[in-house]
Amino acid sequence: MMNLWTLFVPELYCLLMAVVFFGLALSARPNPRRDYFVALFMAGVGVVVALACVRLEGTLFFEAYRVDLFSQVFKVMLAMGFFLVVCLCTELNGIEERHHPEFYLFLTTCTLAMMMLVSSVELLTIYVALELSSYSLYILVPLRRGHGVDVEAGIKYLMVGACASAVMLFGLSYVFGVTHTTYVVEIIQVLPGVIGTPAAIVGLLLVLCGFFFKLAVFPFHFWAPDVYQGAANQVTAYIATASKVAAVGIIIRMVALSGGNSKYLVDMLVTLSIASMTLGNLVAIVQKDMKRLLAYSSISHAGYVLIGILSMSAIGYASAIFYALAYLVMNLCCFLVVVKVAHDGSDLKIAQLAGLHRRSPLLAMALMLAVFGLAGIPPTIGFTGKFLVFAAAMEKGYITLVIIAMINATISLYYYILVVKAAYLMEPDEELPRLPVSIPTKVLTVALVTVMVVFGVFPHHLLEVARAAARMLM
Amino acid sequence: MNSLYTYLFLAALLFSLGIFGVFQRRSLIGMLIAIELMLTGASINFMAFNRFLAPDPIVGQIYTLFIMGIAAAEAAIALSIIVAVFRRLRSINIERAQELRG
Repeated sequence: MMNLWTLFVPELYCLLMAVVFFGLALSARPNPRRDYFVALFMAGVGVVVALACVRLEGTLFFEAYRVDLFSQVFKVMLAMGFFLVVCLCTELNGIEERHHPEFYLFLTTCTLAMMMLVSSVELLTIYVALELSSYSLYILVPLRRGHGVDVEAGIKYLMVGACASAVMLFGLSYVFGVTHTTYVVEIIQVLPGVIGTPAAIVGLLLVLCGFFFKLAVFPFHFWAPDVYQGAANQVTAYIATASKVAAVGIIIRMVALSGGNSKYLVDMLVTLSIASMTLGNLVAIVQKDMKRLLAYSSISHAGYVLIGILSMSAIGYASAIFYALAYLVMNLCCFLVVVKVAHDGSDLKIAQLAGLHRRSPLLAMALMLAVFGLAGIPPTIGFTGKFLVFAAAMEKGYITLVIIAMINATISLYYYILVVKAAYLMEPDEELPRLPVSIPTKVLTVALVTVMVVFGVFPHHLLEVARAAARMLM
Repeated sequence: MNSLYTYLFLAALLFSLGIFGVFQRRSLIGMLIAIELMLTGASINFMAFNRFLAPDPIVGQIYTLFIMGIAAAEAAIALSIIVAVFRRLRSINIERAQELRG
């Protein structure tokens, strides 16, 4: 019995964190410093706990919950994403002080739900975990202080999200009807045999819709720019990183269900991938707001990740996992700069980056590397991720798709360069003071930059882990 | 009446009405009701497949119970945000919420 509980330790730890923040939320007087240090400490321990549990294997709750290397790798990524987002919360000016404990509480429940999501292997468990993570985010978005656009973004997010989850549920009912079971293990055996029938393919596609909403894949992308702009900077950072990683994890698990022999599914994924990349990159060019630009860039990156997933091979899944990790690091680095430059909690215009290389050389350098990583320029981790994804697709012979993706990567270079140009070449209208960057922030920035470059040049260790994780699905 | 297809048709009809309602309604409450219709469609599907096809005759009913519970939680969150929208804009018409353009 003891053994079974240890399997569930990362989730239990998240639950404990949620209880602590619930207790803090009840205290009468707001105390942001205390909340921040409690959150930082507990999130840091959370990463250690997730790392310690990475080798566990087993099933829980009547086989509805599987702990394997695949899920544990994603849990480590989620715990790291959560920890890094908490690191950005030193000046949480975008949210009223008395709401800080609630902010951490909902971040924690969201992380908990995503950890459960990547481990669930039963349809109802997947649905409940997905809804818990969505509901936490629905509340986090309108928490922003006195802006007016926040509730609007919140209600749009909620309506689109509720629609997507209803569509997903309808798809789940067809999958249940075709396969007569709700366990993913049994569905894997039955579904490839009946994947040719309309009900099965429609069901699986509708289910994927629910997850595509999370990943902001075309045509479920239109919430992304509004929510990115409307939510507080730290919340946006969380939505853009941790929630994307969890979505990649569950999409890989669901696509692996088809067994890799459905032409319709591949065609559909190719179409969505091309549409996401092209639309995201083209619309990003005209953006003036940094967070909106990152939103459209996230839509295009969802397209790149899909290339790895639709290869439907172990290498393809491994490259998608690697890409998700690379995206997590690069995007967090971008948001670190956004949060620090807009330290009063306002939205950051790209023009406001002007003169950043003088105001804070370290942040400017980090932004440049992160943005080059997103564009896929060597020697950053972003280049390695794109290379792996494209190589996996080439192996399956999707040469047209890879060429379109390459063209897209070139288009994206344009607006990424605009950001670097704003930070390095443009001068502000009036002389701005130097940005105060604290020692912990410097350490964090240097660490992120090191990860981006070192794992860009020597990706073997990470790739081995990703491959071992992907092998669990085949 | 006692055939699977009757129920599947009914469920698909409810689901389509829900989707139609979400796109056609301008009031946030109306959209919320439309989403509930979609969920009801899914519930009927689960019950029908369960009654006619599944070997274990409980699973579909459990699903429906869970869907009802979760839909209630969703409605609570949605209504609280709608109240916040109303306080800010003095209206729950989605056309008034046009500051952000996706």
